[in-house]
Formats: sequence, C-alpha cells, structure tokens
Amino acid sequence: MEDSSSSAAYIRLVHRLIEECILFNMSKEECMEALSKHANIKPVITSTVWKELEKENKEFFEAYTRSRAERASERETRQRIQSVVSDSSKERI
Amino acid sequence: MLAVSPLRSNIKDEKKQGEMEGNFSMATTTTTDDVVFGDLSEGNLLESINFDELFVGIDIHGDVLPDLEMFGEFSVDVSTGEESSEMNSSAKSSKLENDQNVIATTSKKEEEEDKTSCNASGQDLGSNRGEEIVSERDESVVVNPAPKDGGKGRKSSSAQSKNNSSSNNNPQGKRKVKVDWTPELHRRFVQAVEQLGVDKAVPSRILEIMGIDCLTRHNIASHLQKYRSHRKHLLAREAEAASWSQRRQLCAGGGKREGSPWLAPTMGFPPMTPPMHHFRPLHVWGHPSMDQSFMHMWPKHLPNSPPLSWPPPAAPPQEPSFWHQLVPNALIPGTACFPQLLTPTRFGSPPVPGIPPHAMYKADHDIGLPGPLFDFYPSKECIDAAIGDVLSKPWLPLPIGLKAPALDSVMSELQRQGIPNIPPSSA
Repeated sequence: MEDSSSSAAYIRLVHRLIEECILFNMSKEECMEALSKHANIKPVITSTVWKELEKENKEFFEAYTRSRAERASERETRQRIQSVVSDSSKERI
Repeated sequence: MLAVSPLRSNIKDEKKQGEMEGNFSMATTTTTDDVVFGDLSEGNLLESINFDELFVGIDIHGDVLPDLEMFGEFSVDVSTGEESSEMNSSAKSSKLENDQNVIATTSKKEEEEDKTSCNASGQDLGSNRGEEIVSERDESVVVNPAPKDGGKGRKSSSAQSKNNSSSNNNPQGKRKVKVDWTPELHRRFVQAVEQLGVDKAVPSRILEIMGIDCLTRHNIASHLQKYRSHRKHLLAREAEAASWSQRRQLCAGGGKREGSPWLAPTMGFPPMTPPMHHFRPLHVWGHPSMDQSFMHMWPKHLPNSPPLSWPPPAAPPQEPSFWHQLVPNALIPGTACFPQLLTPTRFGSPPVPGIPPHAMYKADHDIGLPGPLFDFYPSKECIDAAIGDVLSKPWLPLPIGLKAPALDSVMSELQRQGIPNIPPSSA
C-alpha cells in the first residue's frame, strides 16, 4: 500500500508530538486532548500511539508515571497544608 | 682559653640573642611551615624540621624543661651571672641525656653567657659543654630553612657549631617558603595575570603588580604553572560542553521557542572562557598535591557535582549555575516551556530517533525534573507553539528519543480501533 509510508510518517509525527507533551509532563489524556486541539489528531490515534510507545519504553513510562504521581501528591499535600494554615489563622480561640 | 670561648660564643650569641625574640615567634610559624614543608622535596623532609627552633620556642615557656624556667626571659639582663652559670652547668648535665633539651639548653645557655659575660668560671665550663653539645647536635639536627624571611640572613652564620642550633635556617638557601595561597591572594594573582595576559604573564611582572613582599618569584612561577594547567583543563571541558550542547540543541528541535539563552547559537569557544573566570577568583589552589581536586574546588559554588562545571553554553554573562537554576526557576507558570529545553539536556541524545534502552534509565531520575517545575497544565500558547513546531519541522529529531513502536503493531491496533490510518481527513 502506498499509504504505508505516509502512515509511518504520520505515526512518527504523532510519536514526536507525544514526546513533546511528555516534556510538558502531560498525562495520556491531556496529550490526547492537546493533540486533538492543536494538531487535529484523533484522540484514538494519540492514545494508540501512546500505548505502543509505553510498550516499547516501559521503564521510561513507569518512571514518568511515578514522578507524575509524586508531584500530584506533593501538590495535594501542599494544598492541604496551606488550607490548614489558613484555617488555623482564621480560628479565634 | 677563658677569654676565647666566651668571645666566640659572644659573637654568635649576640646574633642569636637578637634572633631569639624573633625565634620565639618564629618557632610557632616554623612548626606550621615545617608541616607544610614536607611536600616540597622529599629529601629535605628531615631538614625541614628544625628541632632546635621548635624546642626553643617551646622551652621558652618552660613547659618541657622546667629547669629552663629559671633562665627567665632572654632579653632580661642576668645580673646574677654566677647563678645562671651554675644553673647552666647543672641544667646542662641533666640535659645531656636529652638531646632536645640540650638544644634548648645550649642556646639558652649561650644567651646567658652572653649576658653574663663578666663571669668566668661557670661560663667557660658552660660554653665548653655547650660546644660539645652543639656539635653533637649538629650531627643529628639538620639544617632548617627559615620559617619566613626573618631568620634567614641572620642564621646563616653556620660556620660555628654553636650557631647551628638556630642558624640552620636555609644556609644553602634552597628551601622556599611555603606560600599560603588564600583566596584573596589568589584573586590578586589572577588579576595580575589577566592584566598581563595569561600567556604573557611573567612571574617577575606578576610579582610587581601584586606587590606583596612575602612572595618570591619562584612562588609566583609555580603558582602560575598550576594556574595555566588548570585553565587548560577547564577550557578542554568547555569545549566538550560546547560541542555537547550543540548536539543537544539539535535534539531540542531548534529549541528557539522562547529563545532561551542557553540555546543561543554562540556556541563558540571563547565565549565560554569568561564565565569560568567567575569561578576562579572564588577558589584557591590549596596544597600543590591537591591538584586533582581543583576541578571540584573551582566550581565549588555550583551546587551540583562536577558535570556541572561546564555550565550551559552561551550563557556567559549568566550565572554559572544556570543549569541548576533551570530547575527551581522554572516554577513560573508562564515559562512552562522550559521543560522542553531542560529535558533534552537530560538525555543528551544524539539526533537519532532510536535511542538505546539504557538511555531510558536516565529518564528514571531525570524525568522528574520537568515535574517539579510546574504543577499545572502548561499554557495553551506554549503547547500550541511546541506542536506547531513539530508539525512544521518533521525532520527534527525526537526530543526525548523514545523507542518508536513497531509500525505494524500500531497499524493493527489502529485498525482494531476502526481507523485505516493515513493522515485522517477528519480530526
């Protein structure tokens, strides 16, 4: 099929875009949304390519996921602390 | 006889007396210097230890040799010459067994003798003994280089045995004083060198410019040598960093998204040199033997390990720790694009799509970097710009360089999803 080369090119493109999203520390879903919005790439395609990339680069994605999770929990903790602090400052004893 | 010996001792002792006060202060410095001296030349290690002076200093304060306390200060005129001479004898006899004591005793005794030059009997005996003792000591004690400049000239009269005790400093003048290159001193040195031009910097000129008395031309020369070799080393690293960063730039897809400074095209060599200058004045070459640790010392203010000693290129005016700053500074929401630049550096991958798996291990700890940078969804503009860049320049290498999935596998998966692929006509 003459499409194969263009398909390959397309997939390469999506691959590259996904990598960029990873640089932005996006999740798969975020990536799908971004690519769809900015590059007109069907989310399903993004998702597929992402999954395939994950298969090929397991450790990377494991680390990526872990770090994202850490950050999320950090953020959450910080927010919690902030709220406690602000709450306590509001309290009148 | 009687007349002769005191005379002889007088000649020397006068000098020594004058020196004695100096000695006291020098003794401590000697000690310090001696320790440092050790590195200068192995053969002279022993020579560097002037037991005589060491003990002179110590004994003066009457710690080691209680008997000597009786002698009091040397500068004080001993009117009771007889007493002292008697003490001399007794002291001496007790010290004959103790070589070190003898040394001190000898010098002290001679001092005493000087002061009590009128005295006859005791002195004579003392001086004779002193000579014996001194000569004994001479064999065991080696020449000691003068601690600083003070005693050098005066102590060179080592012709007479008696004088050897304190006059052994630098009779041959071989020993050079160990210079402590403090940061301040080094800074002045660098200033002088830069003023003259590194290649043209001549020790004598440097000395002139620095205008510090304690330094000899030789000190400067050796320090200059070290400085030059260190610079070469640094420049080599910079060159390496420059070429490495060039490759990095390619990986980052041009990375001109926000024209971050360190991606500037000026990857040239020379621009790198100035930033290194920022380091130099801050640090000092320690002991000569610490040459290997220089590289670590120089960029000491960089919080990270040695690899950071080659800061991101083309950031000359900027802080050397720019690299490091990328992490904390990129907390600014607007600059969410930073990770784009940062991540490539992490991997430093060649501009090839396929990256060997081991490169991914770096990802394990490196990928965390973009994380702390921002906790929010990156700005739309940034993403748009990034994506646009990718779309417009498909030839650019992958920023992360993940291993591309097998085409077949992707295609089959897509078909399962109901997409014949090809760039879909509808989004």
